Amino acid sequence: MTTHLAIDWTRCDGHGLCAAVLPQVISRDDWGYPVLNQTHHSRLPAPDLTRAVAICPALALRLEEPIRSAP
Amino acid sequence: MTALLDRMTPVGWIGEPRLLADWPGLAGPIDRPRLLSYLDAVKLTGRGGAAFSVAAKIRSLRSGQQPVVVVNGTEGEPASAKDTVLLTRNPHVVLDGAAVLAAAVDAGRVRVAVIDPAVAEVLHRAIGARPDAGRFVVDQVPDRFLSGEARALVRALSGGPALPPGRRVLPTDRGVDGAPTLLSNAETFGQLAVLVRLGPHGYRAVGDADEPGTTLLTVTGAVANPGVFEVPLGTGLDQVALVAGASASQAVVIGGYHGAWLPPDPSIRLSRSGLAAAGGTLGAGAVNFIGVDTCALGELARVTQWLAGQSAKQCGPCAFGLPALAADVRALTAGQAGPEVAYRHAAMVAGRGACAHPDGAARFIRTGLSVLADEVQRHQTYAGCGRPVLGQLPLRPGRLA
Repeated sequence: MTTHLAIDWTRCDGHGLCAAVLPQVISRDDWGYPVLNQTHHSRLPAPDLTRAVAICPALALRLEEPIRSAP
Repeated sequence: MTALLDRMTPVGWIGEPRLLADWPGLAGPIDRPRLLSYLDAVKLTGRGGAAFSVAAKIRSLRSGQQPVVVVNGTEGEPASAKDTVLLTRNPHVVLDGAAVLAAAVDAGRVRVAVIDPAVAEVLHRAIGARPDAGRFVVDQVPDRFLSGEARALVRALSGGPALPPGRRVLPTDRGVDGAPTLLSNAETFGQLAVLVRLGPHGYRAVGDADEPGTTLLTVTGAVANPGVFEVPLGTGLDQVALVAGASASQAVVIGGYHGAWLPPDPSIRLSRSGLAAAGGTLGAGAVNFIGVDTCALGELARVTQWLAGQSAKQCGPCAFGLPALAADVRALTAGQAGPEVAYRHAAMVAGRGACAHPDGAARFIRTGLSVLADEVQRHQTYAGCGRPVLGQLPLRPGRLA
């Protein structure tokens, strides 16, 4: 996996701005929270991802490198 | 959950007990390389549900700062009582395991986290009688399902709220007060003590070739003898049903309320691979028999409501999704809806939170709807099944009925 968007779910309030700037890879669920297309979004050019990060009013989005998953 | 209730929790075993037998203590310390070779030889994994390799955890401890060892004895899972039983009946097997591990990795303090003040009391007394009493600190954390989630517990022990953090930080990297932290379930430390005592060869004498040793199970539901049982890993569900006195069952719930509903297939083997083959998970070893005399969908609805109440409400999909699911399952129990909306909502909460609560809850609901597909149909046709909801899935921690 390459650099990808990570959502801090404890911060996200479902404002929906990320889905507005990246409609091709972010949709919204029944309650307005972002649904990230996991396979497609990381193929977007970095500036697009950065724009979504910058526009989030709750500071809930960040760019992340893949990390090990362990408890 | 009180010490009195614990004394009333019956215990039993299949084969020879290890954790629940009289504990003779350990001969002496063991160094890190030898401990790692023992752990590798028996592939010991954490017994809290995530089943992560203990050796891998030790190897991933960040170097350069003295590590902390945390014994997770919180057991906020109402379908499980094994850690409480182990800590109160045989505290020294757990404390010896934690002490021997702490010495091997040059850790300072061992923090033992529990919810129940009565368990804390037993631990204080047990620790007070040990020559290494100064090594241990007993911490009480809030009575919530999520208090035992590894990163929520790390946060609580660092003086913060007992809530999962929004960022993924590994406790082995930055845990309690920022120190590298080795955190595992209480039973894991008991198993480690047994391993150090018996050696890998002796430890492997029982259990499955790939998953040697024993495991603790908490058996509840439509059984004559609910209680905590120690069994060899890989024991068949039929044998557990026999020792617990299970009556006719329409389903089993294995792995607690983050676990899975399964058809009551007597050939299911109680091990991680056995449950994986059956489409479930062993989790922390909770086994619940759903009798033919209860409304199983009503049981599912009741626990779904409870799971919604246990959300920390930090994360939108969980805070809104689990109450929506509770309403969905209520509606289909009343025969007013099919399962489609519930399936859709379950898919919508899974994997979308700071911790595994929405994932676990979604699995519980999804597998319940699948195993009870005929019941869902019947409820839609007849507006119910005519059976009462007996409450066979326990909702109060430490009370098995």
